[in-house]
This record gives sequence, C-alpha cells and structure tokens, in this order.
Amino acid sequence: MTKDYLGEFEELVLIMVGILQDEAYGNAIVQEIKERVGRDVMLSAVHVTLYRLEDKGYVKSYLGGATQTRGGRRKRIFRITNSGLALLRSIKESKVQLWKMIPQLNMNTGFC
Amino acid sequence: MNRPPHWMLRILEWFCPPQLYEAIDGDLTEQFERDHLRFGRRIARLLLLLNVISFFRPGIVLRNKIGMRMINASMTENYLKVALRNIQKRKLYTLINAFGLSIGIAFCGLIYLYILDEASFDQWHSNKSLIYRVEERSFDTWQQDPAQPYRQSAWVQAALLEAMQSDLPEVQYATRFNADYHGIFRYQDKAFTEKITFVDSGFFRMFSFRVLNGNPEKFFHTTEEVILTPAIANKYFGDTDPVGKLVRVDCEGDRSYLVAGVIEAPPANSSLNFEILMPQQNRPHFASHVKQWGNFSTPTFVQLYPKATLQSLSLNMEKLTKKYMGDKLEKWRKESAIPVPEGAKMLEYRFTPLEEIHMKKEVSWYKVSDPQYSYILGAIAVLILVIACINYISLALTTSAARRTEVGIRKTVGAQGGQLLRQFAFESVMLAVISMILGIGLLALFLPYFNTFTGKGITWSGIAMPPFILAMLGISIIVGLIAGIYPALVLSGFRPSVVLKGTGTSRLKAGFTKPLVVLQFTASAILIICSVLMYRQMKYISTKDLGYHKDQILVIPTQTGWNVEADKMVERFRSRTLNDPDVISVAGTTTSFNQGFSRYGYKIKGEQKSAYVYGVDPEYIPTLGITVVQGRNFDRNIASDSLGVIVNEALVRDMKWSDPLNEHLNWREDTVGLGSPVIGVIRDYHFNSLESGIEPMFLSMNKKDVGYLTTMLVKIAPVGVSESVDKLKAAWKDVADDLPFDYTFLDEDVARQYQSYERWMKITGLATGFAVLISCLGLFGLSGINAVNRTKEIGIRKVMGASLSQIFVLLNRQFVWLSLIAFVFATPVSWMIIEKWFMTNFKFQNPVGWEVFAVSMGSGLFVALLAVSYHALQAALLNPAETLKHE
Repeated sequence: MTKDYLGEFEELVLIMVGILQDEAYGNAIVQEIKERVGRDVMLSAVHVTLYRLEDKGYVKSYLGGATQTRGGRRKRIFRITNSGLALLRSIKESKVQLWKMIPQLNMNTGFC
Repeated sequence: MNRPPHWMLRILEWFCPPQLYEAIDGDLTEQFERDHLRFGRRIARLLLLLNVISFFRPGIVLRNKIGMRMINASMTENYLKVALRNIQKRKLYTLINAFGLSIGIAFCGLIYLYILDEASFDQWHSNKSLIYRVEERSFDTWQQDPAQPYRQSAWVQAALLEAMQSDLPEVQYATRFNADYHGIFRYQDKAFTEKITFVDSGFFRMFSFRVLNGNPEKFFHTTEEVILTPAIANKYFGDTDPVGKLVRVDCEGDRSYLVAGVIEAPPANSSLNFEILMPQQNRPHFASHVKQWGNFSTPTFVQLYPKATLQSLSLNMEKLTKKYMGDKLEKWRKESAIPVPEGAKMLEYRFTPLEEIHMKKEVSWYKVSDPQYSYILGAIAVLILVIACINYISLALTTSAARRTEVGIRKTVGAQGGQLLRQFAFESVMLAVISMILGIGLLALFLPYFNTFTGKGITWSGIAMPPFILAMLGISIIVGLIAGIYPALVLSGFRPSVVLKGTGTSRLKAGFTKPLVVLQFTASAILIICSVLMYRQMKYISTKDLGYHKDQILVIPTQTGWNVEADKMVERFRSRTLNDPDVISVAGTTTSFNQGFSRYGYKIKGEQKSAYVYGVDPEYIPTLGITVVQGRNFDRNIASDSLGVIVNEALVRDMKWSDPLNEHLNWREDTVGLGSPVIGVIRDYHFNSLESGIEPMFLSMNKKDVGYLTTMLVKIAPVGVSESVDKLKAAWKDVADDLPFDYTFLDEDVARQYQSYERWMKITGLATGFAVLISCLGLFGLSGINAVNRTKEIGIRKVMGASLSQIFVLLNRQFVWLSLIAFVFATPVSWMIIEKWFMTNFKFQNPVGWEVFAVSMGSGLFVALLAVSYHALQAALLNPAETLKHE
C-alpha cells in the first residue's frame, strides 16, 4: 500500500493526464486544472509532479512535434500508463468503499 | 512574434537538467506568449521571471545533480580514494610538491592583492567622477630633454584657485592641497614636530573623508582653525574632546588656533595623505604666493557641477590663462634660453580625474603607482611556480613505474584515455588545492612584510573574501593543470598489454626530466646570481668612501623656521656644549644630506650653468672631515668671507678654471662686480646619493641669499651614543626651552637613500632562498628515486669491487652536469637583468667580475650536491647482500 500511495496533488495531475490524452503537457494541465477545478497552480509544481509520477511509473513521456508558437520548442507529452490507470482505479474503489461507510452520504446520493 | 527575454531562459538553462530543458522552455515560452496577449509585456516578463525562479526547486535541480552523479560519482569517489592513498603512501613527495606549490600560490595571491589595492585607490569618494586635479603643462625653457620639450606638473600657482572660482562657471568647489609642511604643534606641555597640510574649505565638501567630530559646514570659516586626525587628537588630548580647545602651531610663525573638528585619517590607498589640516592662508609666505603668477607651488583640485563639460572648462581655462598670464608668458617666450618653436604653447592647464591620479605615472605625486613591483613580484611568482611545477612533473614521471599496473588494470577494465587523463589531472589539481590552503596560510604570514615592502596597508578584514577565494582557487586549478597535464599524458599513454605482461623494467627512461631539471636549476641560478650581484652592489654603496665622515653625527633641526633665529640657535647650542668632552663639534647648515637640496641656475657668458648650494658656517668642513685641496676654509674673523664661496673640484672642472683661487663665481648674475670670490677648493664628496655623480657645488656663508642654518650637525665622541644623546637633549632644553628636540643620525639618513634598493635586495634574497629550497627538495626526491632505481646495479658494482667514492660519483655525476649546464644558461640572463635594471640606477657601480659567477656557481653546486648526497650515500653504503639476495 505504501508504495502505491499518491498525494492529493499527484492524484489530481494524474487524473488530468488521463483526461487530456494526447494533449497532456505542462501548460495544458495547468489550464485544465484551472478550468475544471478552479485552482491556480504553478507550472513548475506540475512539472515536478509529472517527473515524480514518471519515476514511479504511472506516466510515461515523449517529446511531441515542434510548433510555431512555443519558440519552436517541442512539447513533452505525458501518457498515463496501465499501472497509472490501475492505481487510479484502485484509489477510486477504496474511496468508494470508505464513502459507503458515511451514512449521510449514503442516504441521498447515487454515487456509483 | 514576441520572444521572451533571452537571459531569463538562460538562467533556467543553467540549472535545469538538459533532458528536461526543452519542454520546460517551451511551456514557459507558451505561457509567456499567452500572458503577453493578456497583460502586456511588462507583466508577462515579471510572470516569466517568477516562473523561472519557481523552477529552481529540488525536484528539478537535484534531478540534474543526481543525473550527473549517476555517471561520475562512483568514479570521482574512486579517484579521490586513490589520490588520498597516493598522498599517504608518498608523504615526502607530497610534502615537497605541496611546499613548492603553496609558496608559488602565496606569491600569486600577493600579486592579486597588490593589483586589487592599486585599483582601489581613491575610488571611495562619492564625488570622484566630478573631482579633477589641475595640472600645468609648460614649455621647458630650462635644461630640457630634447625628447620632452614640455614639463608636466600637478603644482600650479597658488593664485589659480581664486581665479578659477571667479572666472570658471563650471567649478563648484575647489581646494588647494599642500602636504609638505612641518610645524611645531603645542598643547599645554606637549610639543612635537608634526606634518601639516594646508587646504581650503572646499576640501570638506569635495572629498569623502568622514568628519568624526565638529560641523564640516563651518570648517575654516575663520583662518584660525585646525582639523586633526584621530591619532593626533589622541596624542595631544587623550580621551578628552579636542573640539573647541586652543592649540599653538608654529609653522613659520607661532600662533593660536582653535581645534574645529576631527576627521578620519586617510586610508593607505588614498592619494591624499594628511595628519593635520589647516587653512591655506596660514601657509608660510601665503600672501606672496597668491600674488605671484610665476610660482608653481600649489597642487589644486576642483569639483565641477554635474552638468559641466570638460570642453567648456578647457575653453574657459584658456581664456583665464590669457587674462592672468598673457603678458608674462610672452615675456618668458622672448627670454627663454632655448628658442621656443612657433606654435608651442608656453603654458596650458589640464585636468586629471581623481580616480586616475594614482595610475598617472608621468605626473609626479606623493604616491603614484609603480608597476615595477608587480612585474618583479610576478616574475618571482612565475619562477617559483615553474620550479614547483617541475618538481611535480619530474617526481610524477620518475615514480610513474608504480602507477603502471594501476593504469594497465584500469584500461583493461574499460577506462578510456580521456578518463585516465581526467583522473591524473584530478590528482594534481587536488594537490594544488591542498597547496592553496597552505598558500593562504603563508600569505597571511607574508602579508605584514609585504606591506612594509610595498608601502601598502592591506589587511585581512579589508579583503573581499569570496572573490579572493575564487581567484586563489582559479590560480590553483590552473597551476594544478599545468603541472599535471604532462605526467597525466604520459601515464595514461601506457599500453596495458605491455604493462601487465610484466616484461618492462621497473626503471623509467625519464629522458624528459633532464631538460626539466636544467630549466628548474636555471631559474634558481638566475635568482642566486641576481641576489649575489645585488648584495655586492649594496655592500659597495654602504662601504664606499663618500669623501666625508658620516659616523657619530647627529642631525638636529633648529626648529626656529627660516630666519635669523636659526643661526642664533646654532651659536647658542655650540657655546652651551663647548665644554662637553663628548661633543666634538657643532656645525650649522641649510640642508643636511638626504633632506632636500637647493640648486641654483645661472648664466655665465651666455652659457646655462647650475650648481648645488649649501649654506654653512666655518665648522662645517672640519665636522664632516671634508678635505680642502686649495685655498682655505671660511673664517669667522674675515668679514669678506661671507661673500666668498668654497667650490668643489667638479665645479672647477665645469668652469674650466686653471687657477680657481683667482676666479669669481657670478652665481647671482650680478651686473656690476665679478660675483663671489673663490676662497677655497674642496675635494669632491658625495653630497648626493651614489645614484648620481658628483655635480658642481659650492658652499657659502651668505645667509641672505642661500638661507639660514636650519640644521645642526653635531659630532659626538664614539663612546656611549645614548648618553651623549641624553646630554644633547639636556643642552637643548637649556637653549631652546619649549621647542621639540628632533634628531636623526647622519649615517642613517644617508643609508635611507638606498632603502628601496635594500628592499629589492631583501625580496630577491627571500625569493632566492625559497627557489633554492624548493628545487633542492625536488632534487632530493629525484635522487632518492634514482638511487632506488639503481639499487641492484649498485649492488652488483659493489660485488665487482667498486669503491664507495666511485659509486658516489656515479650517482651524482649527472646532477653535477645538469646544474653546470643550468649555470651556463643562467649567467647571461642574470647579468642582463642586473645590468639593465638594477645597476642603471647607480652612477657608481661595483664592477661585475667573473668571480661572482664562479662563487654563485660553486655555492649552487654545493647545495645541489648536499641535496643529492643523502640518497647517494645511503645507496652506496647498502650491503650488496641485502639488495641481491633475491636473485
């Protein structure tokens, strides 16, 4: 369990990578978090988290094609790996298990 | 397209791991472009900078280091371990190497500090960019050097200041600065002679010397004020507040002054030096100075308004020159002894920024940069570093046999040439860095001597540490690389197949070490010969017969100022000490030796002549033991003697007189009369230093024209000098009451003329000592290895019947040859250095003979033999059974 532990921010970033698919790179993730969660995050924080996730094997990265806009720099595109997906899934399940134990929540939601 | 500022991304590039850099750079650029559209350039830049900075976090930066460590860390650790083991295994060689390198590095550090200090001169004044020194440049109508028809000087007319302040709209403040005066300073019962500097009130507005006490706004509103530096304040007032106290200062006139303030003493790197400041108006003969436009006696500084330009200043200055000096300059042009070429300016003024004064060598000033020091120190540092590096190289090469196996194994395991190169370079750099630490210690040890030698005041606390350490590290790394690169190349070039097969002999064919040893020895030999030659010259200077007696003579200033009182003081002191058996004679003179001189120029039959003049009394010639060759000494009872002169032989030669006693010297250019009758001729003696020859000179008793007897020469009996001085002091108290008793010894005054050469000799001697020591240590190490290499050979030779002395000669022969060759190279080089640099300063030289070189060579050889003998003897004494038993 300890090995598979993910911090809150790590989890958020990992989910965003999953959502963005082939467009998951630093800036896009920052934008996505802002749009969907309304949180302002530092680009550097996202980068650091991505590298950490990569070290743990939940995402992998490759350099995409160059575009005109970024001064000709290529994007580092991140993709979620199978173990990343599996981890997300297990987190979700364990949480659902826990949520079920909260009576108030249980009463009025059709959560899953 | 809006590009983000390049430098911000450069910062990122610097700390960001390369594999991540491109994507991050891209992300940041993209963000910047978006921000730029939304917020504009300024905000976007700010945000970018924030973003770049925020990337400087462990998650990014450490990725970098970790990445590098993955490749290198383990090897570096191994290099370090091997290097340390090597150091431990061969302590002696490490010591030899580190010792030499650390001395070399210490010298380099001193030069670094010296250059830094030179560059820091006068840089702390907040108005430094507005302050200029006024300089005059005039056509030299007097004994000029044809190559330099113009004379440049920072001494201008005293009247110029007021003219500039009223006529030049560019000038905000101005001050004169005369630092050459001495006066008697009195407070209550304390009275001493002090150095006094005369300035104007502008001084306090222009320069940034901190006022410690008193109100600088009001300084010098009256002329009866004096400003002290803390040391002087403490000397007279102790801990009490000096401001508001009345003191008396006697500088050509005894008057009361009010202490108006205390000002910070100038630091050692200040071009302006002072102890006591007084208003210019109190300067002796100030009233006549400010009236004379022909008297260049007063350094002057101006501060311009910030908007003023130098062009308009120069233009206005030209007008000013014409206004005040026009007629005079025309007159000078007409009367010049040398025809003034058409278009040549008789006089113009120039302005030198305060910051550049120290480096401007061509205009003389109290303290001017002397690059000679840096050249000489640099040369010494390079020589010592060369010697030390050669030690390292030759020791590393001769012991390389021990490292062969290591190289072989490393190569078989997969090390590449470059890696081994790096390893060995690493070792030498490490040694150099260790030496640096030692070197900094040595530097701290040398620093006080260095300060006295160069006249600087460098302190540890004044050194900016980070750049200093960086510079030292830089020097060490360069030295380490230079020393290490050749051995590293040789060592890493071994072929593993050859080395590991074990067929190679353990002896190294170190062909290249021989030229290195020769080079090293040449460097030492140059220093040895140079210092022997310098020593000989200084010995010659100090023992040469000067033509007068300089021993047991005290030089005592009369302290009365430039007036007839001085003469009376000499008389009073003479009659007071008349009956004292310890006082042989008391003579009066205008100037003692090495305390300035006066020289008169005059025209005789249209020819420009000049002669030195000393005002004396009849006791002068006997007191100094000067020989009268023709005529007689002055006589007090012959009234006409006060008009007569006694000339030296050089003057007789200069005038081409055949019968000097019937001649007259018309040095005052009398239009009526013949001038002063010559009553005697004295043998030439060295009234100037031996740097120059004996020039025409005469003695006179004509006080009105040559000056009063402001100095007494007192000859005392050669026993109990300190008691005699006490007696003289008591006598002085009787006749001079409250005047301070200052004295020097004539022989010391004379020796002081050669102080700078003395110092050069000392530093060369020191460098020679170090150089010889380091190269001998190197030889010692080398001979040790040599002996070990040949143990078996020696064993066999002994078995075959070789005698001890034969083996001794066998082992030492090559070193003797090497040092002989070195001396052959060194002789012409050192002779050139001494002849072209040191000796040119002296008119009187000790001729350089071959015996000097022979002596230097002999002693050098002796020391070298001493260094190599230890190992040679040990090897020769070894029982062959010990060395050969394994065969």
